[in-house]
Amino acid sequence: MTNDTPNRILGLLLVLPALAVIVLLFVVPLASSVVGAFRVNGGFGFGNFIKSYELYTSDIIFTVVIVSLSTLLIGIFSIAIGGYLVLGENPRAVAILRWLYRWPLFIPFIVVGQVLRTFLAKNGLMNNILIEVGLITPLQATSFLDWRGIVIAFVWKQTPFVALLVSGAMAALDRSTIEAARNLGASRLRILIEIVVPQVATTLMVGLVLSFVTMMSVLSVPLMINAQSPTMITADIAFRINAYGDYGVANALGLISLVASGCVGWFYLRQTLRERA
Amino acid sequence: MTTIAASRPAFSLDLWWIPRSIALGLVAFIIFGPLTNLFLWAVTERWYFPHALPLEYGFSYWGRVFSPRGTAMESLTNSILVAFLTVALAMALAVPAGYALARLRLPLRALIMLTFLIPQAFPNLPVYVNIARLFYQFGLNGTVAGVVLVHVTHGLVYAVWIATAAFASIDRELEEAARSIGASPLRTFRDVTLPLAAPGLLASAIFVFLESLDEFTGSYFVGAPDVNTMPLLLYTASAGGNYQIASITAVLLLLPSVGFMLVIERFLKSDVLSKVGH
Amino acid sequence: MRTFLHASLALGLSAMPAAAAELTVMTAGDQNMVDYINEYLGPLFEEQNPGHKVRAVGTGPGDAGSQKIVERFDAQAQAKSETWDTDVAVVHEKFVGPLVENSYLDAYRDRISSGKLVTRSNADMALGTNVKGYVMPMFNSQTALAYNPALLPNPPKSYEELAAWVKENPKQFGYNGIKGGASGVSFVMGWIYAFGEGDANKLMNGPFEEAETQKWSAAFDKLAEFTTNATLTPGNAGTLDLLSRGEIAIGPVWVDMFYSWQASGQLPPEFKLVLPAPGMPGQPMHYVIPEKAPNKELAEKFVELATSPKVQAEGIVKRFNWYPGIDAQHVQAELDEETWNKLFTDVTPEDLASYGKPFPITPFNNAILEAYERHVTN
Repeated sequence: MTNDTPNRILGLLLVLPALAVIVLLFVVPLASSVVGAFRVNGGFGFGNFIKSYELYTSDIIFTVVIVSLSTLLIGIFSIAIGGYLVLGENPRAVAILRWLYRWPLFIPFIVVGQVLRTFLAKNGLMNNILIEVGLITPLQATSFLDWRGIVIAFVWKQTPFVALLVSGAMAALDRSTIEAARNLGASRLRILIEIVVPQVATTLMVGLVLSFVTMMSVLSVPLMINAQSPTMITADIAFRINAYGDYGVANALGLISLVASGCVGWFYLRQTLRERA
Repeated sequence: MTTIAASRPAFSLDLWWIPRSIALGLVAFIIFGPLTNLFLWAVTERWYFPHALPLEYGFSYWGRVFSPRGTAMESLTNSILVAFLTVALAMALAVPAGYALARLRLPLRALIMLTFLIPQAFPNLPVYVNIARLFYQFGLNGTVAGVVLVHVTHGLVYAVWIATAAFASIDRELEEAARSIGASPLRTFRDVTLPLAAPGLLASAIFVFLESLDEFTGSYFVGAPDVNTMPLLLYTASAGGNYQIASITAVLLLLPSVGFMLVIERFLKSDVLSKVGH
Repeated sequence: MRTFLHASLALGLSAMPAAAAELTVMTAGDQNMVDYINEYLGPLFEEQNPGHKVRAVGTGPGDAGSQKIVERFDAQAQAKSETWDTDVAVVHEKFVGPLVENSYLDAYRDRISSGKLVTRSNADMALGTNVKGYVMPMFNSQTALAYNPALLPNPPKSYEELAAWVKENPKQFGYNGIKGGASGVSFVMGWIYAFGEGDANKLMNGPFEEAETQKWSAAFDKLAEFTTNATLTPGNAGTLDLLSRGEIAIGPVWVDMFYSWQASGQLPPEFKLVLPAPGMPGQPMHYVIPEKAPNKELAEKFVELATSPKVQAEGIVKRFNWYPGIDAQHVQAELDEETWNKLFTDVTPEDLASYGKPFPITPFNNAILEAYERHVTN
């Protein structure tokens, strides 16, 4: 490669404006937060992290588990939706689904929190409808306002996002292999899992990583839906700041959250790098 | 197709519609159940237990949202303006960056990609004081430009990551073919690469638009009190449990979001968003 | 068009601040606070001061809303801005101390005529910090237990009775812990006042002593056990929400929020309040004026109007059923008997006098919250 060096410079030049915006307007302000995480009583140390560990370990684990579970469900549902859109045989049903699935995309997280709080409560709209229809009795009605509520809120809001990306990628696939497999008598489920999904894996992963990261830093959903403890890291951050004015522990928790998200991002990037190599 | 369907006994067709309708009905319930709640609260005057539905419907809260002294219309206009500018700026930055990240050899490529992720990945609450300070120093507080820039930092991850995936998925041979018949690199990019990547780029534009439209904290610190956006109104009402006002504001926010989505679909004509990432 | 022009100018990085011939009021608190300023105080002020405009910005309910105002001031102080973008701010009691200590605020109270109408001690001291002169109370708020008379005709009258009742009726009492808003925090503070082995008065008035913080173990153990029989609710609004759905029978709420939910038809009109012995905390919302406010004189005029007996009577008591900020006798004189008594439908003035407590001073407050985190949620 003789043109390697100019190529690199050109590449950097093209990335530079976008990178400059992020670095200047976010990474630089973030730096003092990162430094703040290590600042204890005028000196530096790990005091804030020790406190985070003592008080919030269960919350950190809870957050990662909840977000991972949500990500998994989002992945499954968006493959199902995308798969039906591309493999479904009844055009009317496909059209209905296409029209249906996107709506939650347009609802801001804070409204998702508010709407699901009144929907999922024990005497909320969902149970009221189910009782009215006769599917359950009033005694069977339970509240979903705990970790399940958070998962439901995340999956409800984020599935359309991933499904939108995935279904687009699926629609663009070369249909000849699909048709060939069909003619050989493969079931649609098998075609979806063995032929379609592997080909859209990159898109699926981008969507899931972005969802994971977004969910990690949502505050309104845990605040408005989950009252129980453990709760999510963002709720603890808000509490440290609003109740104690304690930015040290808040920043330490933020850093922990950043590391968790960063690992997921890093994992994905390594995967794609390996594929490109 | 129709002849085959007609020649089949009618009940087999009906049978297929049973699981299909159940499944679609379930999806509809999951999607529209919570949304119904939203729309009901938007026109509710009184609603409490044990009443399954509102006791009294009315539009008095719409009157409050649109009161002559209120800022609903101004906020909505600002929100839309900011969202469009955010999309324009984010895409202008993301298209070259995404192309470089996907196609050109870059040192520390993974690190650069991760950098774009940071604004989404670090919970923003403790960072905004610092961001606000910076914007005060630059004199960007209370300006549309300031709000747009804050939204761009959050939207860029969608734009850059998805753009990168979109460019990476384009067959290199098509570009090379164009080059071999004498097209300049820029021309190749404009006439071959960009159209092929367009669906993915437009998908990311939708996400950037929505991200901007929903953003609250940054808008408060950088925009208010001079540039008020819709989520500023929404946040107080929703967090404080004023369901009516919050629902009405959310319904109003739906208009530009859905509108933007429709415009993009229209613009794409055929199957929307195909080829994203592949 | 104006916005568009502005935008294009601004985008060209000429970044001119918008012309500010307006009085900017930042307010923490619920939607009704924003509406109060936009729909009632603002027009009144503009009528008396022609040519000037008032605009209100809501920063969100609860401590988070006040914290956002503090952070806004922090940012402007650190950026060394010459004039700030806020003329008047409305913040919770807890945040006034830090604002005064950072010398962000102007001592304006003696310059306005209504300054003399406040004698209550919480206008001088805010959770252990001397803030005399820097604040004027907008209104006083109180937490109390809201209950559903259909499910609970005879509510517990004290923490003691409540603890016993909850044991017999598990999950019928709901509160929002300490992370979901101040009504839960207030309930916990009341619990320590009731069951802590130390001196509750010391917690409220100081001075801070480390030894005092060791006297709460038994109370927290009891609270942890109590909490297993309670329903945890998502936030201040969450408690009201579950009450309105009949899922809980009783729970701690802010009195002002309770009334505004009733007014907006989200809560049945039959619901009632009770203030249990030995008392629950309340706090004022304060008007403050930043030292570097752009329109200081106007800002003072605004607060003067907002704390005048007429506005306190008409706006605070009559419109919202809130307890006035300035001394009661000045306000009562402006109102008819019936309106005034409506304030005390559920909670009598005697209850309020004996059971309406302040929050603990800041160091105790923080110590209690952190002890709760260690004992109850971990």
